[in-house]
Amino acid sequence: MTLYIPELQASARNIDEVKRLALAGADALLIGHQQFANRVPGDFELSDIREVTEWLHNQGKKVYVRVNAIYHNQHLTELPSYLKELEEINVDGIIAGDQSIYQILSDINSSLPLTWDPETLSTNYQTLNFWANRGLKRATLSNELSLAAVFEMKEKVKFPINIQVHGMTNIFHSKRKLIRNYYNQIDQAYDSTVQRYIKENKKPETHYPIFEDVNGTHIMSNEDLAMIEYLDQILDAKIDGLYIEGILKTIDYNEQIVSLYREAIDTYLDDPAAYALKKAGYKQAIDEIQPESRRLNTGFYFKEQIY
Amino acid sequence: MITRKKPELLAPAGNLEKLKFAIHYGADAVYIGGQQFGLRSNAGNFTFDEMREGVAFANKYGAKVYVAANIIAHNENLEGLHEYFKELYDIGIAAVIVADPALIQACREAAPDLEVHISTQASVANWKTAEFWKNEGIPRVVLAREVSVEEIREMKEKVDIEIEAFIHGAMCISYSGRCVLSNHMSARDANRGGCAQSCRWKYDLFEDGIDGTEPISELANEQYSMSSQDMSMVEYLPDLIEAGVDSFKIEGRMKSIHYVATVVNVYRKIIDTYFEDPENYKIDPEWIDEIWKAAQRSLTSGFYYNEPTEKDQLFGRPARIPKYDFAGLVLDYDENTKIATIQQRNNFGVGDEVEFFGPNFYHFKQTITELWDENDEPIDRAKHAMMITKVRLDQPVEKYNMMRKGK
Repeated sequence: MTLYIPELQASARNIDEVKRLALAGADALLIGHQQFANRVPGDFELSDIREVTEWLHNQGKKVYVRVNAIYHNQHLTELPSYLKELEEINVDGIIAGDQSIYQILSDINSSLPLTWDPETLSTNYQTLNFWANRGLKRATLSNELSLAAVFEMKEKVKFPINIQVHGMTNIFHSKRKLIRNYYNQIDQAYDSTVQRYIKENKKPETHYPIFEDVNGTHIMSNEDLAMIEYLDQILDAKIDGLYIEGILKTIDYNEQIVSLYREAIDTYLDDPAAYALKKAGYKQAIDEIQPESRRLNTGFYFKEQIY
Repeated sequence: MITRKKPELLAPAGNLEKLKFAIHYGADAVYIGGQQFGLRSNAGNFTFDEMREGVAFANKYGAKVYVAANIIAHNENLEGLHEYFKELYDIGIAAVIVADPALIQACREAAPDLEVHISTQASVANWKTAEFWKNEGIPRVVLAREVSVEEIREMKEKVDIEIEAFIHGAMCISYSGRCVLSNHMSARDANRGGCAQSCRWKYDLFEDGIDGTEPISELANEQYSMSSQDMSMVEYLPDLIEAGVDSFKIEGRMKSIHYVATVVNVYRKIIDTYFEDPENYKIDPEWIDEIWKAAQRSLTSGFYYNEPTEKDQLFGRPARIPKYDFAGLVLDYDENTKIATIQQRNNFGVGDEVEFFGPNFYHFKQTITELWDENDEPIDRAKHAMMITKVRLDQPVEKYNMMRKGK
């Protein structure tokens, strides 16, 4: 039996954040460039990727590069050489969600380990097993799943799986420039540097961040996921990757969040009783740094959906 | 010029009646939903018996029936897949439209000879994805709505796979399948048929940092929204034919038979006219007028020519679109008396100007002057739903011609 060591993953916007989050306790950092990736907190050039890969490997940590855009024909001209560069840099893997990645990796005879993350489409174990037969090495599950469903998937696949445990989740992606379109419609100047959010009618408590990048328009969840009090269940189920999304948060915030999850995970694995005593305190520590506009919740992990 | 095969005209059929009308008005194939595994939980989905009847009807006209099994399944939905696909194959369904590889796998195992088409919910947006599915033995992909005519041309040049593309109907404004607004705002799973159309709601938009309380939308007197106009390629179909599209898909399993018949009729006419003489093809303004008679929203060509802007979205008050009611269905016609037997579908009566239309773009307008009920008693108006009436006509009609009137 192999020893269970969960991987604490976090996204980062720049080299400084990579280093701070690694030192705060992240085992793996997720980075990328919007040319090939959706919803990266910041853009890393290949030279930056090379630098952080060397640095992280020296620390005994990993780096995954997101290439999770929905590809159009134009992506395909430069993507193969980009992937070859990543392989040469010796990153620990790529994260992708376009079905063509299986064909592309095989075309270029790449050994880059693939984390399959098609976002909303990673919802059952048969689907993941289909892709495992085509070469994925790891998969990230959709956020709109119950923990029970996550655990069932874990039992029925033979490769590592990741779930998000903290931060906002993506809930909408359009190729259109919907914010810009709206500003044109109301005849106002659009400033791309401003952060924006939308609220549902007559629901003043709602807060959905919305932004554009080269891949279109993205809307994020109303609340920040915070699973720090439920790590016992997640770790008992031996979920392999626990992922913190740091987009639209300050580096200071992300650093503290990573450090809290690091401590909580280590505490539980070392002494479950100690974790039971401390978990309310971890949650309180998050409450204290949580931006006022962003409520915390547990997403769909304990929530029913109808259809 | 390359000699092309005539593309398939593929129409939605929410129920058996719509299936028959779609085929009668010129569809080469229809797609339907079964009782399970489809995304339109509210459409009048088909039982296996209804499917059998639909397939028998379609076969008589050389048409095909596809079944959409396009949910993104959760673990709990994986049961019964094998039996379902086996049954569809035995019924004579020509293909299933699938988005989730778990369903592809199950279909392969249970019914290896049942064709699988990749649904638009899988966002096939580039030629490498098409090639991937080709190598998997998939004969057809339904493209994401975000691809352009040029991108389709490139896909067809590079990959020998059938391409199905939407030419008409309502659209997701997101990448289909990549939106869970409905899950988050209404706890309804969009990718299993529960979509609450949250994108079409009105929102307040705020900018951080300036004033956290006043929405931009308040100042602008126009709320933020993300509602797409409906797709229509009525003016541009030859571009898609020349790009190599194999199947033209019309959206709308929830729409009326009047909608299905009208839209199918127009595109049938366009495809046939183009193939008769591509060099001298000219669009007839009547086709465009006709399309508008079934339109529910303003129309756009989506991503086919350029990235849609605010002009392709619905803002402000709805555009004024001519509204027509489906007033009656022709059941019989007597050439000697020139009297048609018509089943009422909406209130009509003496003095109304109505329009009759039928397959092959047959059309004429007239004012109703003489109207009788089932017992040949003269009446002024046909008020009762589905009542049988008789109407004297200026021009001949056939069974299954339709009568519409302006609202």
